[in-house]
Amino acid sequence: MKEAKKIFKTALAEGRTFVLEHEAKNIMRAYGIPIPPYSTATTADDAVAKAKSIGFPVVLKILSKDILHKSDAGGVKINLKSESEVRKAFNEIIENAKSYGREKGIDVDLSRGVFVSSFANMGTEIIVGVTRDPQFGHALMVGLGGIFVEVLKDVSFRLIPFTESDAREMLKELKAYKILEGIRGEAPRDVDALVKIMLSVSKMVEENQEITELDCNPTFVYKVGEGALVVDARILIDSPNKKA
Amino acid sequence: MPTVSTESIDVFFNARSVAIYGASASQNSVGQAIVQNFIKPQYTGKVYAVNPKYNQVLGIPCYPTLQDIEENVDLVVVAVPARITPRVFEDIAAKGIKAAIIISGGFSETGPTGAELEDEVVAIAKKHGIRVIGPNCVGVVDTHSHIDTFFLPEYRCSRPRPSNVANISLVSQSGAFAAAISDWTAELGLGISKLISLGNKCDVDDDDLLRYLAEDSTTQVICYYTEGYDESKGRTFFDTARKVTPYKPILVVKSGKGSKARAAASSHTGSLAGSDRIAGAAYEQSGVIRVDNFEHMFDAAKALAMQPAARGDRVLMITNGGGLGVMTTDALEALNLAIPSPSEELNKRLHERLPAYCAVGNPIDVVGDTDASRYDAVFKEAIESGEYDMFVVGMLLQTPSLGMDITNVIANYQRMSGLPFVVVSMGGAFTTKAGEIMELMGVPTYATGEKAALAAEALAKYGEIKYGDKFNKTLVSDKP
Repeated sequence: MKEAKKIFKTALAEGRTFVLEHEAKNIMRAYGIPIPPYSTATTADDAVAKAKSIGFPVVLKILSKDILHKSDAGGVKINLKSESEVRKAFNEIIENAKSYGREKGIDVDLSRGVFVSSFANMGTEIIVGVTRDPQFGHALMVGLGGIFVEVLKDVSFRLIPFTESDAREMLKELKAYKILEGIRGEAPRDVDALVKIMLSVSKMVEENQEITELDCNPTFVYKVGEGALVVDARILIDSPNKKA
Repeated sequence: MPTVSTESIDVFFNARSVAIYGASASQNSVGQAIVQNFIKPQYTGKVYAVNPKYNQVLGIPCYPTLQDIEENVDLVVVAVPARITPRVFEDIAAKGIKAAIIISGGFSETGPTGAELEDEVVAIAKKHGIRVIGPNCVGVVDTHSHIDTFFLPEYRCSRPRPSNVANISLVSQSGAFAAAISDWTAELGLGISKLISLGNKCDVDDDDLLRYLAEDSTTQVICYYTEGYDESKGRTFFDTARKVTPYKPILVVKSGKGSKARAAASSHTGSLAGSDRIAGAAYEQSGVIRVDNFEHMFDAAKALAMQPAARGDRVLMITNGGGLGVMTTDALEALNLAIPSPSEELNKRLHERLPAYCAVGNPIDVVGDTDASRYDAVFKEAIESGEYDMFVVGMLLQTPSLGMDITNVIANYQRMSGLPFVVVSMGGAFTTKAGEIMELMGVPTYATGEKAALAAEALAKYGEIKYGDKFNKTLVSDKP
């Protein structure tokens, strides 16, 4: 996919081994991975205009080559319901980024402004991720978010590429699989939509071997028929001095 | 079927003339132990000793170099100090020999200097098309051709024998394990075709042997002991294994389960992914059956070698001892096998043919005073009903009423039905002997219900791998 290659080239040229959120989502969108509507904005006015066209509530996140962990830099504001909230959030994010830069002793690049995205409805929280193992190469991981991943390490893996039935088996291997099937009167989750995301991520990584790690975390899975959305995406790539 | 040529590997097991480089006249030396293996009458090929120090070793002629040997040599076993191996390889190349096993250590496993030496040897081998097993290994044992490079005296390390029924081959990264397994499987009476220790894997690796053993008609089950793979070699093993598993079972014991996730990971996924978890996923995905330890490996391998894969998960347990029945079905249940009760129809037919005091269910208890005829009745009705995919047969021989004809009955129904059978027979000397007879007739026999259940599980697991969606899985597990 040309889009992806261009983005990776830009990132490497800037000395980054990660792609920015809008870049990650551009790549994912090209692979048919469902993502909440998003845009970017470099000024407060611009952010307000973008938020209006996307529709409230929205999320704002810092976009900077110098910031990988956005929350640590105070660079994320969620559930913004009005123009004034967006304006305020934009200014705060920029200020936070500047003081983050002062702390770290770096001149944080702010030319890209912020990422503006629709604030997705809460669904069943899933993590879909990719790692590149030195012995086996790329493998995809899936697990239910929150304590299932953090505490119970309830995740399963398959090497990339894998088949649809592998993907379904991976989900069934999870101790928390019953939650996807619907427990205590809850409607079953849209497992088909999740499987489709897993297969699309697999294809994306297969065609872009320079990806070293990837997180779609969280991915929200909704009721059967209502699909799934990758809400937050992170893609890491090989540093230029390493061979792909 | 894998298409890469395996011819260059075959000579390691079927060489008709072998030279031992570093053959020695001093007792208890590696160079003498290997010569000793080849001068046993079982090995029918030619043997040459190579060492400028001697004219003969243990009665066979000893040459200063390979080039001094007039006849062709198929395989060289190298047991000389590491530093002179490059010279030895120049000699191998000059003689035009295409296969060598380097027993000696002192190469990449010892550090950069050894690694340089290894690279030097590999370069010569590559240039002249010489395939190399090792270095730092015990080499190979082939129970058919009697190629045997294990430098361990037989009174300490017995060699296994092939079975007429079915055989297992094992590839081990560790030489010490290969030797221990040789000794142990000999004691167990397990049918073995080949044991291979790969050592540093400077050339011949897991993939080469997997391709070779996949096509080897004397190997029914392929077993691996591995501690991990070299860079990207896990992936190539996976690619080869997935082509093999639909027609030949592969079992793996992999150590290093505790290996930590990459500390430097910058993603959530990276921090959760240790190489061992990825390896586990790769095995699952390619149909390689991973087992926890060697005991499980041999129990499973024996069943897989001797019996067809199960086409479904429904197991019937038949026993002449109630306790054995309950213990075995407990173990089967814990391993996620289905233990359905006979249908009403089958129940009725069994009641008609068995004395009223027999317990018909699952297990079916034909009771302590039985002879082979009640087993016969149960097998006939249960097989005809089509309600079961596999039979686990409790055969307690302490009671005098059960004659040795029971082994014929079991073997006959197994052959006629084509369904997998596993026998469990607890006891002492008489029972052990009976078990050996049962196995000569082709049905694997175990000393405890737990071991038999594990064997049944392996047959079901491999059935799922082999038959995929066509495998009749009746049990919906609530376990992960």
